[in-house]
Amino acid sequence: MAVTANAVSRPYQEEEQEDPREHLMFDPKPRGEMNGMVMESMHTTNWKFWVVTILLTVVVVTCLFGAWGYMIAKGLGVAGVNRPAYWGIFLTNVVFWIGISHAGTFISALLRVMKVEIRRPFTRAAELMTTFGLVQAGLSVFMHLGRVWRSYWLFPYPNQRTIWPDFHSPLMWDFMAINTYLLASTMYLFLPLLPDLAMARDRSTGWRKNVYRILSLGFRGTEGEWKNLHSAMNIFAFAIIPVMFSVHTIVAWDFAMATRPGWASSVFGPYFVIGALHSGIGAVLLVLFVIRSTMKHMKYFLRPEHFDFLGKLSLIISFTWAYFFFNDYLVPWYGGDKWEKLLLDFHEHGPLAWVWMTMLICNIVIPWAILWNKKWRRKPWLMGIIGFVINIGMWIERYVIIPISLTITRMPFTWRIYKPGIEIPLTIGTFALFMLLYMLASRLIPLIPVWEVQEGQEAHTLRKVGKATIPAVSEID
Amino acid sequence: MSEPTTLLALFEDIDPAAEAIEKLRELGLPDDQMNVISGVPIPTRVLGRPRVKTNVPRIAMSGAILGILVGVFLIYGIPYLYPLHVGGQPLFPIPPGLIVTFEMTMLGLMGFSFIGMFLDSRFPSYEPMDYVPEISDGKIAVFFKCPSERQAEFEKAMKEMGAESVEPKEAQEL
Repeated sequence: MAVTANAVSRPYQEEEQEDPREHLMFDPKPRGEMNGMVMESMHTTNWKFWVVTILLTVVVVTCLFGAWGYMIAKGLGVAGVNRPAYWGIFLTNVVFWIGISHAGTFISALLRVMKVEIRRPFTRAAELMTTFGLVQAGLSVFMHLGRVWRSYWLFPYPNQRTIWPDFHSPLMWDFMAINTYLLASTMYLFLPLLPDLAMARDRSTGWRKNVYRILSLGFRGTEGEWKNLHSAMNIFAFAIIPVMFSVHTIVAWDFAMATRPGWASSVFGPYFVIGALHSGIGAVLLVLFVIRSTMKHMKYFLRPEHFDFLGKLSLIISFTWAYFFFNDYLVPWYGGDKWEKLLLDFHEHGPLAWVWMTMLICNIVIPWAILWNKKWRRKPWLMGIIGFVINIGMWIERYVIIPISLTITRMPFTWRIYKPGIEIPLTIGTFALFMLLYMLASRLIPLIPVWEVQEGQEAHTLRKVGKATIPAVSEID
Repeated sequence: MSEPTTLLALFEDIDPAAEAIEKLRELGLPDDQMNVISGVPIPTRVLGRPRVKTNVPRIAMSGAILGILVGVFLIYGIPYLYPLHVGGQPLFPIPPGLIVTFEMTMLGLMGFSFIGMFLDSRFPSYEPMDYVPEISDGKIAVFFKCPSERQAEFEKAMKEMGAESVEPKEAQEL
């Protein structure tokens, strides 16, 4: 008699066994070889690199310095700022670039504190973005000042004008917070760079050897030096996180402390911080894609797993940004204040409603439509595009908050739509300068913190549990 | 007694380096007569070495205190020297004071951590030093000072522990 048995479980399929060597931490190479790869990536340039460098230099000279010189000679009248929008694209750029700078700290410091191992190969690329982003933010502030040669008036010192900066003003807090963040993030970039500069010194000749010899300060890797480096990096990692939050919160207060429609909001602080992280992570995705596609050996260090991780992070941040945006929208809408209602109506149905809609599409619709899918998150080119789209959306968000919102004041006879003038070439100039600085740095600074990658690989092993081989991480330090 | 000789033993891996350090101790060498140099950080407990002290946190803390003092001066000292009444706020308000003091404290803390790292590691230093470039490529160097007359004994012991090479080393320019 035939025995028939009912299945006791659901039909199953063979689980695909993932090759652990897909993960950088489980695909180690001899250290000498990895060092050689990083050095080669810095030294290998082709004609395309120099063509792009020359083009960017021309753009920087004409659009940034040329246009700025023209504005200094002619006065702020050549810019589009005028009543009622006295704050225009210059400040849009300030907020945007400070936002970009947040990714470096967030990725490097926060993930270091949380011991998120996947961070290891891309922390430096993000930290470098922080420093160069802050340079652009600083330049944009000086553009906005107009009479830039009088910027020293911001400093408190005894003077015959008997004018002192007002430390009760959010603008002064902003000045201090940005300076603190710029100095701290530059130092934080330099500290973990020391061992890699020492490695570059040992593998270089000629003028490069002298440069690295000076920059590495005599670092050898003794027990004391590592201990001091770890100690300083730990202090930085913990201390720079609240500073990062404070910087964009204070930038938000520049707006929120004014009792203007659209600005006087108690959620502006965290809303700005999340916006900064949104654009910052997007920029990291874009930068990593460019580095991976254009620099030699970078496909070994920057893998689909890293884009997948950053994609997930970006999706979560996009959710959070949407939450804060809705909060910032709902409360004034519900409150029913006449001017707030007029402003919301202007955003949604005014002549610039398409800008407002584009912001929502770039920051919410497109990221949500793409980033939920693991296969798509593992495609670097697609993640590069997503990073670019998010940054367009986040730049527009700042444009909506600043010049568009300034259009609606409590004095309707002043209403006027802001039309940028010389701000456009100056904006192009800051973007070109950021790219130029990054490209030049990529030839001098190891973009991969190779000692951190090696340290991570040392700590990762594969463990056999039952029939499966699973990754394990030892906490050596 | 003759001048001590500095020997450099180069190891491929952590385990033989840790064993070699133990052996050096057995041969009567105190811990302060040896040093380990590596291209990636190796915790002292992994090598069985005594904990290294660092002054960086103490220096950082002094920077934080200095930062607090600067912040307090900016927010309270400046209005005292030059009274400026703005927006109906008191001359010496607490909330803006907290913001300015926070920024200055953090700047002091991080600035002095950075400086502390330099001071405690004696950076920058461009003098000739005990070093070989192979270290940054992953080799672990154990430097130690031994009596000249026992040099051969120490060299043999290190070789037995798996050293790739054991050589007397002169300080050299990095």
